[in-house]
Amino acid sequence: MNSIFLSGSSLLLLISLAVQLLSVAVIWLIKNERKAFLAANTVLLGGMITGLASALLTALYPAPSGNIILYEWLRLDPLGLYFLSIIQLVAIPTIIYNYSYLRHHIDKKKSVKSFVTFFTTLLVSTQLLVTANHAIFFLVCWEIMSMAAYLGMIFEKEKKEVQQGSFYYVTVAHALIFILYIFFFILHEQTGSWLFSSYHLPFATETMGPVLFILALIAFGIKAGFMPFHFWLPRAHPIAPTPLSAFLSGVILKTGIYGLFRTFQFLCPVPEWCGWVVLAVSLFSAIFGVWYALAQHDIKRLLAYHSVENIGIIGIGIGLGFIGSANNLPVIMYIGFGGALLHTLNHAIFKTLLFIGSGIVYQNLGTRNIELMGGIVHRSRYLAIAFLIGSVAISGVPPLNGFISEFIIFTGFFATANELKNFYPIVMLMLVVGLAFVGGLAAACFTKVNAVMFLGSPRREIQKFNTNVFDYISLGILALLCIVIGFYPAPFVGMVNSVIGSSLVNGTASAILVDMNWMYISAIFTTIALAVFALYVLKIRHEKKYGKRVSDAWGCGYEHITPRMQYTASSFADELNTIPQSVLVYHKKVTVSDTAYPVESKFESHSDDFVDTKVLLPLFGLLKWLIAKFEFLGQTDIRYSVAFILITIIVYSLIAFLWV
Amino acid sequence: MGLGLLQGIVSVLVVLGLSPLFAGLVNKLKAILTGRIGAPLLQPYYEMQRLFRKETINAIGSSFISRISPLVNLVTMIIAAAMLPVGFWKPVISFDGDIILFAYILGLSRFFQILAAMDIGSSFEGMGAAREATFALFAEPIFFFSFGSISFISGYTSLYMILHSIQHQNISYEVFIVICSISVFMLAVTECSRMPVDDPNTHLELTMIHEVMILDNSGLDLFLYQYSGYIKLFIYAILEISFFYPFSGQGYLLGIIIFITGSLVLATALGVVETIASRYKMKNIPQYLLFATAIGILNLLIYTFTR
Repeated sequence: MNSIFLSGSSLLLLISLAVQLLSVAVIWLIKNERKAFLAANTVLLGGMITGLASALLTALYPAPSGNIILYEWLRLDPLGLYFLSIIQLVAIPTIIYNYSYLRHHIDKKKSVKSFVTFFTTLLVSTQLLVTANHAIFFLVCWEIMSMAAYLGMIFEKEKKEVQQGSFYYVTVAHALIFILYIFFFILHEQTGSWLFSSYHLPFATETMGPVLFILALIAFGIKAGFMPFHFWLPRAHPIAPTPLSAFLSGVILKTGIYGLFRTFQFLCPVPEWCGWVVLAVSLFSAIFGVWYALAQHDIKRLLAYHSVENIGIIGIGIGLGFIGSANNLPVIMYIGFGGALLHTLNHAIFKTLLFIGSGIVYQNLGTRNIELMGGIVHRSRYLAIAFLIGSVAISGVPPLNGFISEFIIFTGFFATANELKNFYPIVMLMLVVGLAFVGGLAAACFTKVNAVMFLGSPRREIQKFNTNVFDYISLGILALLCIVIGFYPAPFVGMVNSVIGSSLVNGTASAILVDMNWMYISAIFTTIALAVFALYVLKIRHEKKYGKRVSDAWGCGYEHITPRMQYTASSFADELNTIPQSVLVYHKKVTVSDTAYPVESKFESHSDDFVDTKVLLPLFGLLKWLIAKFEFLGQTDIRYSVAFILITIIVYSLIAFLWV
Repeated sequence: MGLGLLQGIVSVLVVLGLSPLFAGLVNKLKAILTGRIGAPLLQPYYEMQRLFRKETINAIGSSFISRISPLVNLVTMIIAAAMLPVGFWKPVISFDGDIILFAYILGLSRFFQILAAMDIGSSFEGMGAAREATFALFAEPIFFFSFGSISFISGYTSLYMILHSIQHQNISYEVFIVICSISVFMLAVTECSRMPVDDPNTHLELTMIHEVMILDNSGLDLFLYQYSGYIKLFIYAILEISFFYPFSGQGYLLGIIIFITGSLVLATALGVVETIASRYKMKNIPQYLLFATAIGILNLLIYTFTR
């Protein structure tokens, strides 16, 4: 099928990518920084909107010839298309937020040209990545994506933490791509092809099956941020500029999930142990991701840990799907993969919303430490509302979108227990309880964030708090999406259902996801919203009749209450963090005066990452120590070096001869 | 459909109307057991009436969250009540998977209540909110250990069907159900802030959980919070009563009789527990909750191995 087929909408997609790249040319051609940026960003936005339109068109009117766009390199199958639309959907508000974020930097006489270049490259390469049908092309896009993210990340490279965090990221990104090379080389070796569409290696018949699966799980797991491979997230995300960290957390992590889905396509049907491995890793990620998040004070670090939790929830869905695939139960595959895919979309939306919201706060207050915030609701009510919507959604609380995908996954547990009796009910019950526990922790975490950042009174004087229309447009789009998916999930679930039907489950159509009483849920949620609104109107009337005033809060007789006496994030979460103290590496330091005259007392609490401080750092310390043992080899005498080179060449040649 | 919907609406109205009475009953029984005369049975109604006529005072520095949170609380409680069968009547809301919605709807009310407490910006409310968030962590696991396991055994995912599936079977099933009911009772005590976890009558801010969160609310807001509290207590009472049904046959009249006797028995049980139990230290409450969770796990294992 070596023909060029271009349907109208796929042509539009290529054009949109070209337009997006045009913005790079625009920004370097125009001299004036401000004008160049405005023009480039507008071009980028236009390109992205065109792209989204073309993706939606392709979804509505699928091309007849297997969706090949260009030779066989680019292909738009439903799965790729779904991820493509997620990328574009989230990129649009992020680009709109750029108007506000980067203008702020231009005002400070900082050049944004290179950042816009790298950001655009990142967007384009990510879009190409999910449409790639050729392994080498996929790897090239992957590498460009990783590097563009790195180069964008060092926007504020004069800061020490940025240098460290970005170095961490680039190291991990490179370690990862080597695993991917091996993965695709094995695939090529086994099939003799580079095309994704020709990889069909049923796990059972392949000896390389387990190797491929483990390699994919590690490589894509690092990218997605599954524990224990999450360690780069809390280092890299806080230091990136806000639009980039929003995009990293919202979308780039999802390329790992995309990779897992593709791996499943190559290897299906997978045996059951794959499902159990994924489930175990995911549940672990979900519980400890959110627990680590609870112990953080840096808002972006907290959100990064929260991504680990949500990736865990997505992984639980994928694991369920694997179990369904192993037992040849399409119903469970539909529910598991459906929950995972919908949560991927949902997480992309609310995580971007929360990152942009916290970015706006950071820009105004100059700190990411939530212990120094408070009372922002009185400065910008709409920002507080948008952030509240994001928080409710991410906690999986009704009536917003987070609940919908968690609901599907919960239903999956019940369905699995029903379909496969035996010991399954017990395990599924553990998973139900585990996910409910995660929900409780997430709610604790986001009530903490919301309350400490936005409510109460400011713990440190807020000098100024400026927000502009672009902030509100981007937040508004994302908040609206959260509300729409929550209140009216039916079409989105239908979309996910058809993606699974055509890409992941071969042959068996099922409407299990569509038939899930979504109208009931829509009706209940609408009732809740309307009832709260109606009661609010009644309450205002009641207050008119019986009176309403404001007064001091109860201080127990104490009159000099200051904002610093409010509960802080650490005091709120202290009790919860003390439970898994050793895992969270949570330590507290209290300095109290025991003299007759009280002097200043201090309290600190801090949580380090277990993998980071207890595994990786000792490991590299050991490595350093080992290498130091061979220091004598690094003699300055050139003759030694020549001798070593010779020895190396001989050893290599011997190995090569023996191999052949 | 028409009759079923009517029955559902009547049961919601029963819950809305009688929940303060149930709270009054518990208090009255508790008073009698401790040798006092106690407040009249209808005291909660009088208090609600009094609060309703007062002006609303909001704390300085509080935001829209404190203003909408009482409303969200009441609405979520009504929705939760609409999912429960009173007697044998089919509730208004009943579909496959509503057990998840039920647990998460209660989560929504908790979410807003914690936010509203933190909204005041006082450390008293902060203390209560932090405790609520910590202890609530165990609420959903306990709930799912009990009702989730019954659901897995019966194969239903709708709360109404799950509660209906509790039938007279063999002895191991009955032991299982009894232990489940104990677990749910411990959960109810925590969630409705009764002794020995929380004392609804205490007036020392440092030791309260639920009461301290609404310390700065008054007038209509307090009315709404208290009313939702009564409804919540009654919701848990209904959950608990549904464990009694298997010891009867079916039938509407019998259902209603069991409902009434069940309420009385449960109110007495709560009164007795509140009389004889002393409050736990704050730091011991997680152990209490872990115990409730652990018997849930144990229970399920026992049942699976004897099946």
